[in-house]
Amino acid sequence: MGLLTRSRVKSPWILHYCTGGCNGCDIEILACLTPLYDVERFGILNIGNPKHADLLIVTGPVNWKSEQVLKNLYEQMPEPKLVMAVGACACSGGVFHNCYNTLGGIDKVIPVDIYVRGCAARPEAIIDGVVGALNKLAES
Amino acid sequence: MTVTDVLVAVAALIAAPPAGGFLVGVDRKITARLQGRMGPPLTQPFYDFFKLLSKTRVVAARGNMVWAWSYLLLTMTAFTLFFLGQDLVVIFLILAFAGAALAYGAFSVRSPYSHFGAQRELIQMLSYEPILLLTAAAVALQTGKFTVSGVLTWDEPLLPALPLAFAALLIALGIKMRKSPFDIAASEHAHQELVRGVYTEYSGRYLALIHLAHWYELVLILAFVALFWAQPLWIGALAALAVFLLELFIDNLAARLRWSWMVAVCWGLGIGFILLNMVLLQWLA
Amino acid sequence: MTGEILIGVLVLLPVAAGLLGLIPMGVPARRALLIPVSLVLAAASVWLTVTAAASGPLTVTLPAQWESVLTVLDFLLLAYFIHAGLGARHSLVVLLSLAAAAGLAVLKFAWLGGHVSVEPAFHVDMLSGLMCLVISIVGSLIVLYALDYMPRHEAHLHLDKSRQPQFFLYLVGFLGVMNGLVFADSLLWLYFFWELTTLCCFQLIRHDLTDEAKQNALRALWMNLLGAVALVTGTGLAYQLVGSVSLQELIGAGTAAPALLPALALLCFTGFTKAAQVPFQSWLLGAMVAPTPVSALLHSSTMVKAGVYLVLRLAPAYAGTTLSVMVALFGGLVFVVTSILAVSQPVSKRVLAYSTVANLGLIICCAGINTDLAMAAALALIVFHAVSKGALFMAVGMAEQQIGSRDIEDMEGLGFRTPLLASAMVVGMFSMLFLPFGVAFSKWAAIEAAGTEGGWFIAVTAFLAVGSAATLVFWAKWIGRLTTQVKGEAREEKPFFAYAGTIGLVGTAVGLSILIAPLMQWLILPAQAGMGYGRPFDLTGWNLFTAVGSFTPWALFIAVGLAVLLPALLVKGPAGTETAPAYLCGVNVDGDRRFRSVADSPVPLAVGGTYWTTLFGEQKLTPVFNWAALVCLGALFVGVIV
Repeated sequence: MGLLTRSRVKSPWILHYCTGGCNGCDIEILACLTPLYDVERFGILNIGNPKHADLLIVTGPVNWKSEQVLKNLYEQMPEPKLVMAVGACACSGGVFHNCYNTLGGIDKVIPVDIYVRGCAARPEAIIDGVVGALNKLAES
Repeated sequence: MTVTDVLVAVAALIAAPPAGGFLVGVDRKITARLQGRMGPPLTQPFYDFFKLLSKTRVVAARGNMVWAWSYLLLTMTAFTLFFLGQDLVVIFLILAFAGAALAYGAFSVRSPYSHFGAQRELIQMLSYEPILLLTAAAVALQTGKFTVSGVLTWDEPLLPALPLAFAALLIALGIKMRKSPFDIAASEHAHQELVRGVYTEYSGRYLALIHLAHWYELVLILAFVALFWAQPLWIGALAALAVFLLELFIDNLAARLRWSWMVAVCWGLGIGFILLNMVLLQWLA
Repeated sequence: MTGEILIGVLVLLPVAAGLLGLIPMGVPARRALLIPVSLVLAAASVWLTVTAAASGPLTVTLPAQWESVLTVLDFLLLAYFIHAGLGARHSLVVLLSLAAAAGLAVLKFAWLGGHVSVEPAFHVDMLSGLMCLVISIVGSLIVLYALDYMPRHEAHLHLDKSRQPQFFLYLVGFLGVMNGLVFADSLLWLYFFWELTTLCCFQLIRHDLTDEAKQNALRALWMNLLGAVALVTGTGLAYQLVGSVSLQELIGAGTAAPALLPALALLCFTGFTKAAQVPFQSWLLGAMVAPTPVSALLHSSTMVKAGVYLVLRLAPAYAGTTLSVMVALFGGLVFVVTSILAVSQPVSKRVLAYSTVANLGLIICCAGINTDLAMAAALALIVFHAVSKGALFMAVGMAEQQIGSRDIEDMEGLGFRTPLLASAMVVGMFSMLFLPFGVAFSKWAAIEAAGTEGGWFIAVTAFLAVGSAATLVFWAKWIGRLTTQVKGEAREEKPFFAYAGTIGLVGTAVGLSILIAPLMQWLILPAQAGMGYGRPFDLTGWNLFTAVGSFTPWALFIAVGLAVLLPALLVKGPAGTETAPAYLCGVNVDGDRRFRSVADSPVPLAVGGTYWTTLFGEQKLTPVFNWAALVCLGALFVGVIV
């Protein structure tokens, strides 16, 4: 693995966006930053700016309001970038399935690299998902 | 200026990025430990740097790219001047140009967040610039020299004569390191922020350049701190390291405060300390 | 003999040209008249300076009958001021004119009596030469600029009858009057030219004849008349003590006699009023109602520079006294308070005006520090400030004509709307602000001069340090506003003389900054030596080494030039796929022009500047600062008398 790829794998900065779920997964994502899970061990930072981010973590089923926002944020991220759908809603619409105001999953709007299931997804699962995403990055 | 001076400057230019990056790594590790976390590896700043270099360009305005380069090059200019033993006031004024370049890059994009950060960056400069200039004046009042090489020839350590000026310098150091309670324009990692403050529109390799410039700046300011105990220099180096660690503790103890409070502290306490120190120095002499 | 002719040309030619211009004429004819005059003035000033450098100071003694002419003109001028004061029912103007007239009558008839003054009227040394160069060259460029500016200005106002003849009389005449002022050795001649500059200034400020213009002109008049009263009193006092009204004898007699200090303090006070120091800054701020060439002239090469010239001229006389310390403190205080006031200003011309007052304060502060290094800083600042500030006013005037506003908020993205003009402005501001350039060099020298002195100069150093930081903020945010990238076509009208003058002055500022060592060697250090100061610099290798510090101009220019120009020239803009709109929380609509707001309606994006008025507001701070400066002035006089 070259230096640049290795650096990419070792330093994934996260942009976190909720497209209209119940915030359960969001709380679990933030739990990953706490001392108990401490994802900064892996160089992960919650950066809050698409222009700096490598990994877009999205929760919620994508309602009509957030569709364009999600697209905009995705487009503003520089390559190489990864998208991770966290939680049942983000993967498939979950409890909002077939709701009139949702699109039913992130992959209806932008390409998704990795899906993390659960309602809400547990922090361990989220960390696992990030590692999976990074493996994908390392292989590419 | 002799060949040795030039060699020292070149060596410092080469050694500063690894040293600065390592210090930032130490910073992140210690901060994490203070918060009961493991923290990233010491090499994390370098991973971040190379990752940022490898990203594709996503730019909103050409000025953003130009000024990121200028910021780095101007900081390196100030850095080189210091290690060539040049004039302290000149160095600080060039450093001010560098700081302004960072703000101009943020101004060049028509983005509310980066403008906000840039204005706050300027307010930071309004706060710490007088402290740096006056500290140089205090050093000159004691040693009779404004040049780094001149100060180095002074036989006694400066710290016993200039303790209050040294304390004031710590405030400026806190701002320069972007540490709480003075991280007004953009806080370092893991603090909450209005998007990313002054860095909002810088991305990819241009953000990497800014990181590199920060490393140079950090080493430069710590070298200035070390100048307060330059005979022998290893005590100065230890003092600089101690001050660096102290800043980390303050960062973790303090909350971020308002800009008006920062200006008040810098102008009141900071300048007051230095003036008191200079007056006492005159009075005792 | 050549010297006398040159002095005559430099003083009388502009006045004569102005009077000739009163004949109604079109724009081409006025150009044909004034362009050669400007060239002759510039050439004559260079020639005179070279002559003074080669063969020492020139003195000119005028025949005795000139004294009577002078007296008549003095009283005519005061009569005119009284007339203007009565016409406007402005009692202060009348009272001060009467006071000046009374003082002058006592001085001329009772004390000097009938006896013919033996002093030379004019004494031209290198300091006068330096001032004359600044006045004649920068001033001439401003006159050329006005040739382009005024027709546009009048077209904009839709006047029935052009008022340009009067305008150019006072504008061009100003240069001659200023030259006379810096050549004068006899305080009586100095007084005469002093009052003439007041007259020119008064007429130029009220030129547009709006109520505001008339009001502000009267304010300028009474404040400058206050200075004139102090000048007459100071002259009288000096005559009683020294027995002469010659500046040279006054300076020669200076340091030893503490009794003379009150007279010197009064003369310095005269300088402060003319240099619009706090608390008299309001007349200069009010002067911006006049057409831009007037502001450019008042702020850069004439008028206010007369004030600092007098303070500097007297500096050797009060070296090492309480007065010197107080002058330094006062100048430093003005520098810092006006720099802070400028931070909260949204109007470009007010920012420039405050910056002018600040820089003049810095010059006065340097005169007070009164060491070799400080004096070099003061003289360098006179030159660099005149050049840069002249350029900036010209640029702002052009911007006002192109975008119809003098508000900094409206100048957003000027770098992309009027690229050439904005580039000149930005470089001009850099030359006011950042280090390898001359103005910042003067700050460097002032800080180093004050920093090693100790005593009261510790406070002066603090003033300089805080003032420098405030300066940085107000320029930097203005530059940021200009360089913001906006979309849309560049539309720029480029009148030749106005652009050539502006860009020429910006180029001069940069060129002189690079060549600062030769400038020191051939102009500033000789001027300083003529005043009795030593050489603060070791100019080895065209660097400026002092006993305490070092300044390496060309090396710094190479380093900083590479750091700024290389990226600017080499970095290619982002390709189509690499451009991204600014971050707007993802609610961007068509790039970053608009964002989706309440009820999904797109709102145009607006980005404003910050002026921090809660902390630095003018309304809040001005009274405080005025009182601080008044207390400082009071302390100056009390300190001098005690």
